[in-house]
Amino acid sequence: MQSAPLPETLANLVGLDPNSTPVMILMSLVGAALIGTLMMTNTALAGPWAKRKITAAFTDRIAVNRIGPYGLFIIVADAVRLLSKELIVPDGVDRPAWDLAPLVIASTALLGFAVVPMGSGIHLADPEVGLAYVFATASMASVGLVMAGYASNNKYSFLGGLRAVAQNVAYEIPLILTGASVVIFTGSLQMSEIVAAQQQTLIGPLPSWYAFVNPFAFVLFMIANLAEVGRNPFDIPEAPTEIVAGYQTEYSSVYFVLVYLGEFIHIFLGGAIIATIFLGGPAGPGPASLGIVWFFIKIWGVFLFTQWARSAVPRVRIDQLIEIGWKGMLVLSLANLLLTAVIVGVIA
Amino acid sequence: MSLEKPTPDTAAEVGVTEDGLDYDALADLLGGHVLDREEHVNAEGFVIRPDEVQAVLSTLKNEAGFDHCACVTAQEYDDRYESIYHLRKFDDPTQELSVIVPSPKDDPHNESAARVYSTADWHEREAYDLVGINYDDHPDLRRILLPETWQGHPLSQDFNQDQPQIVTLRENANPLEADHRSEDDSDTMFVNIGPHHPATHGVLHVKTVLDGEQIADLEPDIGYLHRCEEQMCQQGTYRHQIMPYPDRWDYVSAGILNEWAYARAAEDLADIEVPEYAQVIRTMSAELCRIAAHMLALGTFALDVFGDFTAIFQYAFRDREVVQNILEDLTGQRLMFNYLRLGGVAWDLPEPREEFFEKTRDFLDDLPHKLEEYHDLITGNEIFQMRCVDTGVLSPEEAKQYGATGPVARGSGVDYDLRRDDPYGYYDELDWNVVTEEGGDNFSRVLVRMREVEESARIIEQCIDLLEQWPEDEREIQANVPRTLRPDPDTEIYRAVEGAKGELGIYIRSDGTDKPARFKIRSPCFSNLQTLPEMSQGEYVPDMVASLGSLDIVLGEVDR
Repeated sequence: MQSAPLPETLANLVGLDPNSTPVMILMSLVGAALIGTLMMTNTALAGPWAKRKITAAFTDRIAVNRIGPYGLFIIVADAVRLLSKELIVPDGVDRPAWDLAPLVIASTALLGFAVVPMGSGIHLADPEVGLAYVFATASMASVGLVMAGYASNNKYSFLGGLRAVAQNVAYEIPLILTGASVVIFTGSLQMSEIVAAQQQTLIGPLPSWYAFVNPFAFVLFMIANLAEVGRNPFDIPEAPTEIVAGYQTEYSSVYFVLVYLGEFIHIFLGGAIIATIFLGGPAGPGPASLGIVWFFIKIWGVFLFTQWARSAVPRVRIDQLIEIGWKGMLVLSLANLLLTAVIVGVIA
Repeated sequence: MSLEKPTPDTAAEVGVTEDGLDYDALADLLGGHVLDREEHVNAEGFVIRPDEVQAVLSTLKNEAGFDHCACVTAQEYDDRYESIYHLRKFDDPTQELSVIVPSPKDDPHNESAARVYSTADWHEREAYDLVGINYDDHPDLRRILLPETWQGHPLSQDFNQDQPQIVTLRENANPLEADHRSEDDSDTMFVNIGPHHPATHGVLHVKTVLDGEQIADLEPDIGYLHRCEEQMCQQGTYRHQIMPYPDRWDYVSAGILNEWAYARAAEDLADIEVPEYAQVIRTMSAELCRIAAHMLALGTFALDVFGDFTAIFQYAFRDREVVQNILEDLTGQRLMFNYLRLGGVAWDLPEPREEFFEKTRDFLDDLPHKLEEYHDLITGNEIFQMRCVDTGVLSPEEAKQYGATGPVARGSGVDYDLRRDDPYGYYDELDWNVVTEEGGDNFSRVLVRMREVEESARIIEQCIDLLEQWPEDEREIQANVPRTLRPDPDTEIYRAVEGAKGELGIYIRSDGTDKPARFKIRSPCFSNLQTLPEMSQGEYVPDMVASLGSLDIVLGEVDR
């Protein structure tokens, strides 16, 4: 299962020396481009097409079915449509910050995938602090949200930005604490180690995925993740019926695409973290080369879950959200961490 | 019988007798205030001095129990201006009284009633805006429907229609002007919610001052959809030309309910008797409209609370579609029905009748199951309860004070439903209940609508049974109405029906021609919307949005 990180594989593939630094830098860039493209493709599929189809299925509709098979070419049509729109720059926006925010939102989430083992040898880097790194990149999106909200010079954006910060602070701590409880099991932050630790079987055919070992942590993490990616019941930074579109109110055309893209990549990053630390990463029946298929099935499963929540669950109010975060989730995740530590300490 | 209302303790109220109101006793109560007495079709009118409005109205309110100021009608005669306060009682709306306040032609002034009935605030602003009567001691006498910069008062006699209304941008109020933070109150932020906003259900502009995310101050700004409906009705003939307009007031599915408001007022004015068979059809079709309207209210409320276009919204529309199809079979239209006629309905049920009955029955049979699904998804949802229970609270006293009616009033425990209290159509022959909830919060208002759908279904079912058994040779759908209807000159009437949103009343004054001299619409949404500031003071923005959704306003009816 354990294979060399992607740049080495690539270097070997084209017959270059994997020990020379320039070659590795080049191959890392190629690998990053590959993973970036992979995730972008996923997002392209998810944003204009899958999201519509999934929501339609939940709401008794059909959704896009006119352009191409199953309406798939809507992706092309939407891309052309969105990119050819006028980029409106409102008066009084805080220029560098306003332009940078969409880039920050979109790129930070992509960075996280660098350390995610996707199976089938697609794993760009495997630093020892892998999990910490993923959480760090995921939270950096908040910076982008604040930039967007504050720089837009729009009150709705401003409110959206403030809500985003309040929400992310309230939910990132439970998220990371719950993630830490997994680290107690594995004793390592390295992503490959976390995946490797989930290879055994638990009871019968059940694999020892941490979702089965500690379902409580899994549920906590799933809920916190909903808040982290801003989907119902925690979609209040955008809350269309309250603050129009929150921090993205003033963005149009390419910038809007970037913000939107960033959100979807963020959902997938959340899915990737969940898949890696709770669902055994790329593990699944069949040969190891099928790993990437299983991995993507898992992150799409998480995506489906967020869309399900979006279609069926009411949104909570901002003060209720903060209350749930600080008084509920934080306490529960701390309890989970302590219990896990005690249990692991006693058994091991 | 279920329609029996708990008898209120009216012993203390002046002028209440076994067989209706004793106007002499009321006149005695007011003593010298009453200058003259007029006979309106619906009630007697007391003419009073323009500077004694507050004294007279507070006496009537406190001592005679007239706690509901349904409407304020203003109009201009050749020799005077006149404001009419249509008073009735929440306990028994058949006890009505009009207070007529004439004011001089050259300088129309009369005392405002807003200190007695809060609802008069907006009604008088509208009267000032359109007719041009000044109300002294009014808390905030500004234009309400037309822009601040408008020249003249369009319903006054000397209004020059050809006068250009050119206003430069500079002269217009800048909505952002209030943005500047004052020194003493730098913690607040001014936000325009609407007129382009996903949650305002049309073109409503809510000027909000936020303290953090909480609402420090709020003022609904209406008039973006003002289409001069009153004046258009004044230019149409009674018999045919007015009926299509009511469909366009509350334009989301409540068409037949609105048409009935006009039909009832005009029929009572011209003394037209509607055949019983037609009344049953009216009752059935009106209740179908009510179901469709409540479904829409439910769907959009879910939209406001849930967020995006979610399952509930789509389910509600799916089920509303069934009702729409039935109504389309019946009337030929899906939205602007134009189905009622003075003295009856446009045509009989569609042939084959069995098919129509079966279709409607199928819908009614499915309904309990669907409502159960809604209760699962909405009212049973804990997050939904967290959001809606105890938010946007409107106490029964405030509801009455603001003239709130319909599901909004009934959600606050005000047991007021004109279908039962001021019976018309076929309602008093049928077995159904008036739904009330005591909470007064967003949740109660939604619950009232959902339960009213059940009651409407009961009414429809009974109507269908009746229609099915109706002997074929007695299916009279239309009374004999003169081709050109000219009610007697100087007859005045205020009549209301229970529309989807509440008391939809119409005041008509005839001048002997085939067109009304004054046509005034009492829109339930207009009065209900006035309660919004009361409900949302100190609440969070999301709760304000939820309250707005639970008020279920349709801007076409607010602005007319």
